[in-house]
Amino acid sequence: MKINSPNGLHYPITVVELAKQPNDDVKRRAPLFTYFYETEVTEGNKYGDEVKVKKKLPARFESPVEGTLAEWYIKNGSVIERAGLEIAEIEEPCTHETQWGGLCTDCGKDMTQVDYATQERDSDRATVKMTHTSASLLVSRNEALRAEEDSRRRLLGDKKLSLIVDLDQTVIHTTCERTIAEWQADPNNPNYNAVKDVHSFQLADDRMANVPSNWYYVKVRPGTKEFLERVSTMYELHVYTMATRAYAQAIAKIIDPDRRYFADRILSRDENGTDQIKSLHRLFPTNTDMVVIIDDRADVWHYSDNLIRVKAYNFFLGAGDINASFLPKQVELIEPVQQATTTEPPKHQEVSPQEGTPSDTLTDLEQQLLSMSSADKPEVLEQQVKEQEKIIISQQTERPLLQKQLLLDKEDEAREEATAENGEAQPVEQHKQRHSLLHDDDNELEYVETALRRIHRAFYDEYQKKKAGPQVGRIAELKGEKSPKKRNREEFVPDVKVIMPRMKRSVLSGVSVVFSGIIPLGLDIQFSDIALWAKSFGVQVTADIHKQTTHLVANPGRKTNKVKKAARHSLKIVTVHWLYECFSKWERVSEDPYLIEVDPEHGLHASSGDPYEELDDGPLLSGEDDDIEDIGGDVQIDISADKWDSIGDEFDDFMNETDDDNDNDTDNNDTNSDSESVRSDDSAQTTDSQKQSAKKRKRATASTGSASNSEAEDSDSSVKSTGSRLQRKKKRVFERVTSLSNVMTADKSSGLPSPDTTGPEEEQEKGEAEVDEDDDDLEAQMLAELERQSDEDDGE
Amino acid sequence: MFFVKEMERTIQLHPSYFGPQIRQHLHRELLTKVEGQNMGQYIIVCILDAFDISDGVVMPGSGHAEYIIHYKAIVWKPFKGEIVDGEVTSVIRAGFFLDVGAMRAFVARSSIPADMKYDANATPPQWTDNADQVIEKGTQVRFKIIGVRTEVAEMFAVGSIKEDYLGAITSL
Repeated sequence: MKINSPNGLHYPITVVELAKQPNDDVKRRAPLFTYFYETEVTEGNKYGDEVKVKKKLPARFESPVEGTLAEWYIKNGSVIERAGLEIAEIEEPCTHETQWGGLCTDCGKDMTQVDYATQERDSDRATVKMTHTSASLLVSRNEALRAEEDSRRRLLGDKKLSLIVDLDQTVIHTTCERTIAEWQADPNNPNYNAVKDVHSFQLADDRMANVPSNWYYVKVRPGTKEFLERVSTMYELHVYTMATRAYAQAIAKIIDPDRRYFADRILSRDENGTDQIKSLHRLFPTNTDMVVIIDDRADVWHYSDNLIRVKAYNFFLGAGDINASFLPKQVELIEPVQQATTTEPPKHQEVSPQEGTPSDTLTDLEQQLLSMSSADKPEVLEQQVKEQEKIIISQQTERPLLQKQLLLDKEDEAREEATAENGEAQPVEQHKQRHSLLHDDDNELEYVETALRRIHRAFYDEYQKKKAGPQVGRIAELKGEKSPKKRNREEFVPDVKVIMPRMKRSVLSGVSVVFSGIIPLGLDIQFSDIALWAKSFGVQVTADIHKQTTHLVANPGRKTNKVKKAARHSLKIVTVHWLYECFSKWERVSEDPYLIEVDPEHGLHASSGDPYEELDDGPLLSGEDDDIEDIGGDVQIDISADKWDSIGDEFDDFMNETDDDNDNDTDNNDTNSDSESVRSDDSAQTTDSQKQSAKKRKRATASTGSASNSEAEDSDSSVKSTGSRLQRKKKRVFERVTSLSNVMTADKSSGLPSPDTTGPEEEQEKGEAEVDEDDDDLEAQMLAELERQSDEDDGE
Repeated sequence: MFFVKEMERTIQLHPSYFGPQIRQHLHRELLTKVEGQNMGQYIIVCILDAFDISDGVVMPGSGHAEYIIHYKAIVWKPFKGEIVDGEVTSVIRAGFFLDVGAMRAFVARSSIPADMKYDANATPPQWTDNADQVIEKGTQVRFKIIGVRTEVAEMFAVGSIKEDYLGAITSL
């Protein structure tokens, strides 16, 4: 180790005599040389005066480290001008490259001791965490490099790559709801087949002291065992999870009972160091060329090139990821209506969506604060722990799955009764055909395996090719002086970070996509999760349809202007599931099953001289407007019945004041739901303070925001419409009311006070106010809009 | 190394325990609170039976009774250079971890004889010289302590098996 002149000496200093010669042993704090320095001191003479005198003062320089003196860079009489100059080289017997628990693992010295001679703390020499199991084992950068070189050679020898596997929602799904145990015990239960192989366990050192004996129910993703078996021949498997160590180990026991696949290579939250992100460098500090990750979340990996994103495994509907409260909130897409078992789409809607994902219970402001502040702060951590506790308690007490199954049963019963009335009643058999809530039909891992196989093959093909024709000259230039042989091999190794994106980009290259009704408003389209995902597969994402656009990804059941436009240009209009399918299969699948039927008539009709056609893109509706309009149908609102009543009353008051049409009353719900849903989508940006100001603005001048315009149009058109249109409107209103009432029941089941229930009320008031004002202002425009709306209805 | 150490402990007893069985309560309190405790420098292994309980003094204000108990206990303190036995808890490329009673220890690869190699492909991973020595999770290992450090309630030791008669204990 080179000894440099330290800070804090009184420079310049003049060396008087060197106390040690080369090859002498040097103890710590032993004098290396003596020197003198000049300084002004204040002295008192015998008369009591104080005089400043320049003095030469002698001093000793003591060795900060122990070892053998190798070489002096100074000699007797040299002057050291400033700090940072080389003084001597001392060879240490131990360089403390690996440290554990504050001890050097090689020499056993205490690394935390600091004294006056210390120049550089010994504990700073090893700062890289490399091991899965113990965060306190630290190595130096050099040691990390060596270790990785070792494992790289081993992997290349075995023709393997490293694979990091996430647990929650990737290979397993966990819930704490004890309904599962009841279903497991009851072979007659419709869900019995799905849950019979669910594992359960308890954790001894559960952190949730006030949640007594919490059971975890773990469903292993179908095909996981075979997947691990086959993949482990090509990859060395690691687990990297945001769950606690105990939980991770319990899960590992389930999916890998013989510890054949993962062995000790399990990294959990306890060792991760931070709760916010997963970092490849935590496990592979210097080199990530041979690492592949599978995870259902891309954001925690910062959209790493090593990542294969897996469709989230969501077996226990609505349970989400119980360990996700420690991660930054995931921005969710507007959930399209999913195709599934139930017959009535509106009813199914409240069964399937991923409600109750943990972070939903936080207000947006809190959420923002959470994501802004670093996770290492204790108060944030505490809140996250509480958050997780809350989820688990709510899963235990409310049992959302049970509620959903009951709902399903009710539907079945209703149908049963219907058939019974028809005369062919076979109640016993019918009872067995109860629809099950949980479905065991996931085959994502097969696709993942195929992808992994392809990467492995591509990697080793390239490796062999490069090995055949080595470029020694360049390597010799690039490598350092140490261990040239090792470095040589390194040059040959291809990079997964290059291979994988290349493979992925070729999948959907040439596809240019426009999203419509998929990405929540207010999000930057280019940086939304789905767009980033799509781009990694070579898809071009644009905000508006233009010449290059090949596909429109739309939400079925919504006619946006973009959809119309796409239909006119005869683009392929597909659901978002087409993209997901391509993403998971790594190939361009046929669009046919995912096409959205758009009435070609409508396109023709629109272009055949409709006088108001231009309005679609005209000044009345801003570019975003089409999205706003459509969102109304699908988004859920949690408002309980009594709140609706109070809102209704308030609205009546309004109506009386303004002496408006009575028809508005029937439209009441419609308007509210529209405004509400628009708001709730916007809420990603809305902070509490904004909400409050919105309340204050109640009954202020009408805002010119496009949102209120469209609401006003909605309500007004029905007011003025003639017979058949009015009926149609009413029907629409009715539909929305039913879907809302369903949401109501779902809301009742969650006993927790959700912050949302107070928020929307204010917003509704605002919505009403604006509608009210707009009624008067925009009447002329409304008439025109009314025509347009009726056209739209025809289209639907 | 094990020592017999004379110690003293002050115990405050809640008034609800006052009664004929008060000595048993004190006894139990001492055993549960003290045995197995990591005192930083040493670990209290076991309290010897004979101990001396002072007369109780009722604390003004709270009503608790305070007893001072003198007792002898067997304590264990690890020393640098001591040879101890431990059980392997985890095997990694950089070495292996052991538990020595309440103390955790680590033996680094540099302190493992050169003829022993790390085998990551074995299940479970192991250090082996491809002969009779196999160190994997659960193996009993005899090693020499080369460094000890204590924190508030934790002890760390670093060990070496690079000497004769150290390493996996084959026959107990």
